[in-house]
Amino acid sequence: MKDRKWIALSAVALAVLVMMNLPDATSQRVKGAVRDGISPLQAALRGGVREMQDIFRYMRGWRDLALENRALTEEIVYLRGEMRMARDLERNNQMLRELLGFVRRSPNRLVSCEVIGRDSTGWWQTIRLDQGAHSGVMDERAVITADGLVGRTVAVSARTADALLLSDPTCKVAVRLSRSGVFGVMSGVGAKPGEQPVARIDFLLKDADVQEGDEIVTSGLGGLFPKGLLVGHVRNVEPDEAGLYQTAWLNSAADLGRLEYAFVVATEQDLEQAVMEDSSVDMGLVDGRAAEGETP
Amino acid sequence: MTLLVMIFWILAGATLQVVIPAWQHMGQPAFPFLLAGVLYVAVNKKPVYFVLTALLSGLLEDSLSLVPLGYSACAFLVAGWLAWRLRHDFHMRRAHMVMGLGAICAAASTGTLALLLRLQGSVMLSRNECLLRMAGAAVLAAVLAPVWFWLIRGMERLLGTWEDRA
Repeated sequence: MKDRKWIALSAVALAVLVMMNLPDATSQRVKGAVRDGISPLQAALRGGVREMQDIFRYMRGWRDLALENRALTEEIVYLRGEMRMARDLERNNQMLRELLGFVRRSPNRLVSCEVIGRDSTGWWQTIRLDQGAHSGVMDERAVITADGLVGRTVAVSARTADALLLSDPTCKVAVRLSRSGVFGVMSGVGAKPGEQPVARIDFLLKDADVQEGDEIVTSGLGGLFPKGLLVGHVRNVEPDEAGLYQTAWLNSAADLGRLEYAFVVATEQDLEQAVMEDSSVDMGLVDGRAAEGETP
Repeated sequence: MTLLVMIFWILAGATLQVVIPAWQHMGQPAFPFLLAGVLYVAVNKKPVYFVLTALLSGLLEDSLSLVPLGYSACAFLVAGWLAWRLRHDFHMRRAHMVMGLGAICAAASTGTLALLLRLQGSVMLSRNECLLRMAGAAVLAAVLAPVWFWLIRGMERLLGTWEDRA
């Protein structure tokens, strides 16, 4: 009886040890398969929660609907006019580019994704996206929203991808201050998104021109993030203890606590690879201008 | 049938754990739905079921996060073993006893995982941060474990798979 107990214990220990020491590729494949398996459940639950939120939002705001409708109609009229002007400008732009023999430098495209979950352990600050390698999402790609940079993809399976948020301490981004042109490396501080600074830039020279409210954009150095993506704004600046450097604390432009949709910046090669892997899948590309043109 | 019930609650726990964001206080611990399921099985079922639940839950938790494969299973086994050892010291019909057991085991599980992740080098928490996170996980488990136990027991009674071992 005692022997059987020891055999069982050894078997369990062996199983755990094998799991912990699987080769990286095998481990990623197992994790990817499990994640893809459970993602429809997550998406369904997330969809249900969103429906409920919409219903409550509608119930709370039904009185204002008439006013909102009127405002939206006015906005549509205005935007249609703007769109016509933008089309003309784009045509002119295209014509001038052709005249100058200008080659498009940014072959990036956006893959639209829905946020279906967050890190299930709380050890990292990540979000789960409902598009993966089959849609052209690859590892180490920038993830953005209409408001600005959100993070980068870190683990991609066939149908899902995890994105590490800017607020995670392991997320580093090469940035530049728009106003003064000062360069730096931003890292997350793991704080509560939306209320406190989510990131900081260390080792800025003590006489570097940094002010509260300064806009921070990606510098494009390092090649991971496209140049010029809005990251956030300086919340406050502090000198370090030795007085040699200063640290800028930032708020992200995108609300990292309330992400529902995001876009992954994919390259042409990513999309071609995805098509080669599975030519029948829906690509999930963004409609309209973003899909046709370059990244913002 | 027990196995099916177990799998149902593991899937439910994993899905909820991903959809509900981590608590933004006390070191940002996640709601321990999967751990609560492991503890329930550890105190109410045969050890073989508990080991299977811990391994399956660990596999799911690791797959749904950046934790390397096998680490969460290890943490769940430690927590489940603790619950199994303490099952006679805690009266499982009383909510405050389940709260206490949940808190102790969640702290042990978080501590084990923090140690493993530190050894692996992917998360470097200071001792104070680790203690804060263990306390946070204990608070969440104390709140969640009685509810989760009650729900699983209710389903088991409905299906006729519940056996009183307490």
